[in-house]
This record gives sequence, C-alpha cells and structure tokens, in this order.
Amino acid sequence: MGSHAKAWLVEDESAREMLDRVLTERPFLLLPPLHRVPLRVGNVVELVGPSSSSKTHILIQAAITCILPKLWKGVSYGGLGHSAMFIDLDCRFDVLRFSELLNHRIMEAANGSSSKVGCHQKDSEAQFERMKPYHEELFALCMKRFLYIRCYDSSEFLRLSRTLHYRLQKEREVHGVNVHLLLIDSIGAFHWVDRGSSSFPLECDNRKSWHLQNVSEAVVQEIRRLLLVHPMLVMATKAVVLGNKYSTNELTWNYRKCSAVDNPYSRNITSSDQQLPYREYMPAAWQSFVTHRILVRATDDDLVNGEHQNNSIYLLKWLLPPLNSLDKFTVRDTGVFILS
Amino acid sequence: MARLANLETEYPVLDSTVRNFCASHGIFSAAFAEQNNSSERLKEGIAQVLSVIDDMHQPWLNGMELLEDAKRNKHVFPTGIQGIDLLLGGGIRVGQLTELVGPSSSGKTQVCLRTASNVARNHMVLYLDTGNSFSPQRIAYFLGKTINPSSAQAKNQFLQKVMSNISCHSVFDIFAMFDVLHQLESYLRCQDGRGGCQMRLLIVDSISSLISPVLGSSSTQGRALMTSAGYLLKKLAHQHNLAVLIINHTVGGEGGYSKPALGDSWKCIPHSRLFLSCDRGSNNYNVSILRHPSMASGKAARFVI
Repeated sequence: MGSHAKAWLVEDESAREMLDRVLTERPFLLLPPLHRVPLRVGNVVELVGPSSSSKTHILIQAAITCILPKLWKGVSYGGLGHSAMFIDLDCRFDVLRFSELLNHRIMEAANGSSSKVGCHQKDSEAQFERMKPYHEELFALCMKRFLYIRCYDSSEFLRLSRTLHYRLQKEREVHGVNVHLLLIDSIGAFHWVDRGSSSFPLECDNRKSWHLQNVSEAVVQEIRRLLLVHPMLVMATKAVVLGNKYSTNELTWNYRKCSAVDNPYSRNITSSDQQLPYREYMPAAWQSFVTHRILVRATDDDLVNGEHQNNSIYLLKWLLPPLNSLDKFTVRDTGVFILS
Repeated sequence: MARLANLETEYPVLDSTVRNFCASHGIFSAAFAEQNNSSERLKEGIAQVLSVIDDMHQPWLNGMELLEDAKRNKHVFPTGIQGIDLLLGGGIRVGQLTELVGPSSSGKTQVCLRTASNVARNHMVLYLDTGNSFSPQRIAYFLGKTINPSSAQAKNQFLQKVMSNISCHSVFDIFAMFDVLHQLESYLRCQDGRGGCQMRLLIVDSISSLISPVLGSSSTQGRALMTSAGYLLKKLAHQHNLAVLIINHTVGGEGGYSKPALGDSWKCIPHSRLFLSCDRGSNNYNVSILRHPSMASGKAARFVI
C-alpha cells in the first residue's frame, strides 16, 4: 500500500517537458488572416460577417493548410498533414474551386522551393513537367484527407452531430487519419426555418419537441462531447446583417482614428466600439460555446494588381478577444494576404 | 426513426435483451442510442444501432469522390447567348442555383427561354411560370434560328421533339410551388439511373412573385418558407443533377440604386447571382456578376438576344 502511495507521488515529467510535448502534439495555428491570436485545438472560432465577405474562403484556406503535408519529397508545404472535416449547412461548396485553390497552393510551394535553387525559365518549365506526376499524387493524397458532408435541415444536422464520434472512430481505425479541423459553413443557416417551425409534436409522447433552443443546445452538447475525445479546432461561419449605422464610412473612420491616436490613453475611445455592430441571433448555448469571434466585411475599395485583376479588400476585426486593430486583407487564388 | 422492435428482423442482434437494456435507459428508437460498457452483446447491439443510423443518412465523401462526382455529373450548360456564356466560363452549372436579377424588361425571361430552348435539344426542362410569361412561339423562334434549313417536315419534327422536352407548369403561390417540387422529387427519384432523356434544367420565373407576398417584416413564417424553398431547390439541384435558374426582381435601395428583392436572408441561397439590365431603345443588354463561386464580382459583359 505504502509503495502505491509513494508511486503516486513521483513526478511524470517536469513542466518544461510537458510544454515541449504539448507544443509538438498540439501546435499553435497561425492562419492568415487570423494571425493575431494563435489558435489551438479545443478553440471554437466564429467568423461573422455579411454575405460575400470571404468567410467561406477563409475556411477553405484553413482546410487546405490543414490537409497539406509539412514536408513532402523534399519540398516544404507548410501544412499540418491532418484531415479536415467540412460540414456544409449552406450547401454552396464548390469542389472545383476548392481543387483549383489546392493546386495553386501546391504549385506555389513547389515553385517557391525551385526558385530558391535559381533555375532558368526553360529549366523551370521542364522541371514543371517532371514534377507533374508528383503534384498529382500529392493532390490525390490531400483531397483524400478532406471529408465533406452536407445537411439540408437542422434535424439532419442533429443526427449528424450524434453520430460524429462513431464516424470519426471508424475513420481513425480504417484509414488511420486524425481529424484536426472541424469546419461548419454557416451555423445560422437553419435559423429562420427553426424559428418558423416551433414545436411540432411528433409520434411518441416521450419525444421532446424540437425547436430553436433545443436543437442548438443539443448540437453544442454533442460537439462538446466530441471535442473531449477527438480534440479539434472548430471554425464556423455565421452570416449576419450589419446595422445601417455601421456603414463603411463609420468603420473606416474608426480605423483612421485608431491608427492616429496611438497612445495608452486611447482606451476610452475604443470602449464605445465594444457594442456589437450586428444583431446576434444564435441562442445563448452557442454563444457561450464560442471562444473566439472575428468580424469580416468587404470594403468598396479594390486593390489594383497591375494586371487586369482587381481584388477586393476586406476588413477584419477581432471581437473576442477584443483587439483594437483592424486588419486589411485581400483574397487571391494562392491564399489570403494581409495588407496592413 | 425506426423503433428498435421493428429492426429486429433485419438485425437479429437487437434481441429482447438489448431492447430491455435500451428501454431501461429510455431509448425507444434508433436516435437515442448511447455508448455503454456493460456486456459484449449489448456493445454489439449498440454498435449495430449506430451503424444503422449511420447508413440512414448521406455518407461522408472525401475530396476525391466529390471531385469525381463533379466531373462526371455536374456539367456546364451553355445558355446559347454568347456574352453570358463567355462571362460565366461556359454557361450555367448543374448542381448550382443561378439567379438572374434585374428591373422590369431587362431580358430575364428572354434569357430563360433561350436557355430552355438550348438545353431542351437533349434533355428535359421544367419551367415554373408565375406570370404567364412562357412563350412557345419564342422558343420556336430561337430554335428556328439555329437549325439548318432542310425540309419543312424535318424542321417540324425537330421542333416537336424539342418542344415536347419542355414542360411548363403555372404556379401562382408558394405552396403550389412546393407541391410541384415535391412531385418532381419523387419523379426524379424513380427516373435517376434509368437511361434516356433526363431532366437537367429547372426554371422558376419568377421566385420573387411567389415569396414576396408571404414575406412580411414581422412574421418569421415568410422567411422560414423562403429558406425552405431555397434548400429544396438546392437539394434537387445537387442530388438529381439539375441546373436551376431563378428569376428575381429588384427593389429600391439606399441612395436610389436598385438592389435585388427578397432581402438579406435570400442572399445566402443562390450560388451565382447575375444582374441584368437593358440599354433603352435597343436590343443590347448588360450582365454583371454580383456573386459567383469562382469569379470576382463586378465582372460585366454585354449581349444581344
């Protein structure tokens, strides 16, 4: 008995060793444009914005970063090499566009490494042809790590959330892949339908009647349970309508003011921005589940690229944890690029 | 959700022991199975129940399978109008909802009729007409422009064949549209997999006249109906490989410019949105992209019909 108690008291590892282990197994993710706050598994990130503000694009770029390997046949791709799961509640995912973006990222990483060696134009073209089968193999490998499912109403989503654990288990046993990223496109997609169809009593009496609050609570509970067993980073988008008073002019005014008054006494100016510029419609169960929140919106400015391409500029603001900065970024085929 | 007793015939492991265990935990149907470690037989039973639920809804697809399905089934149909086809990189895509927005007389119905006449050569088309704007004469005119001059009889036969591929239904309220779409869903479920002429295009002219009457600002029912209609169309488009073309009107917005009707909740439903307008007094039309999965918004083109 005494030896058991003593064995219990012996340390397993020092704090430094634990930190090393955790940082390798669960690294921080710094995905542009969300680079200001490092994200880890277990975080639930919500991307909020009006329609057409590149929210889905950010999710897709995060998925591509997740499925690309870190290092493959001598070329560094800078990815995580894990699987990503995409739950499409918006049902607007375009796989052809996704494969285009993946190809662009693969080419860019491959070109980046070859340009370091310093080949000439002809050499690089020949090398491109040589590398094609490798690229196709890598492309197939990455695409197989991307898991996709779509739901057409909230009862399907609820059923899905209940069987996620079982499916992930099966996936791990059969294919040996670990899902690191859970992406939900448009968590508020069924909001109006759920609000409209309040409590339809179904056949059995012991069946709870499902309406907005219940569905949300049930889904959040299932995902929480899932995160205990399969630690993942959850990213969800949410479409909102920005209020009229927070038009583009107002936001750029705040931005200019923030950058101009760059002193420690600017706290009282920014405290008035803490009210949300949009109406929150998700139930409290989901709101309290979210650990990080970001607001994105499109501006009317365009970035003239020099070629005939005009890329729109988007603004990003961290709402949770609240940061004072406004980031500008633009979206291109090879990824998301921060402008300032 | 199936009752466990009914599933016993298919899955003999779900015998009375398992059912009693489940009943003691308040589990009466397949939806409420939970993990538990008590016995091997129970574990098997639970695993079986979970796999039954799993099979009941759509399977996971990985990226390669999605891509294969897109390449095999989700083709692009040219509208027959050069300007639009060039702008969209081929035409409208199967599996996606394309919305045409524009003020009155901006050519929306004409574009739909032209697309219908083009697609009907080889596939079936369903035209849901809300304002009696379907015109068989116009379709015949479009077809007549493109076929080679041959004998009048051959021309007639060709016209007959193509026209019989287009079915036109008049719907005057949103519930009638739901009716038609549900009938279409059951019809397509039987048709899929069989060879022959398949339905590939669904046109709703115009969805705003169906939804605007139910969409009041205070009630939630209107928006719920609108969202359900949108999801039903998306489901039909994806699962049965249809291209869906929807017409929407414009309303006045801030600053005097016109914006698409049906509000912000509708913005998230169509895959692509095109804004059409007409130069006054001529046959020249302008089209610009409001939203597209792979192209920047703002790209514009001109076309003539």
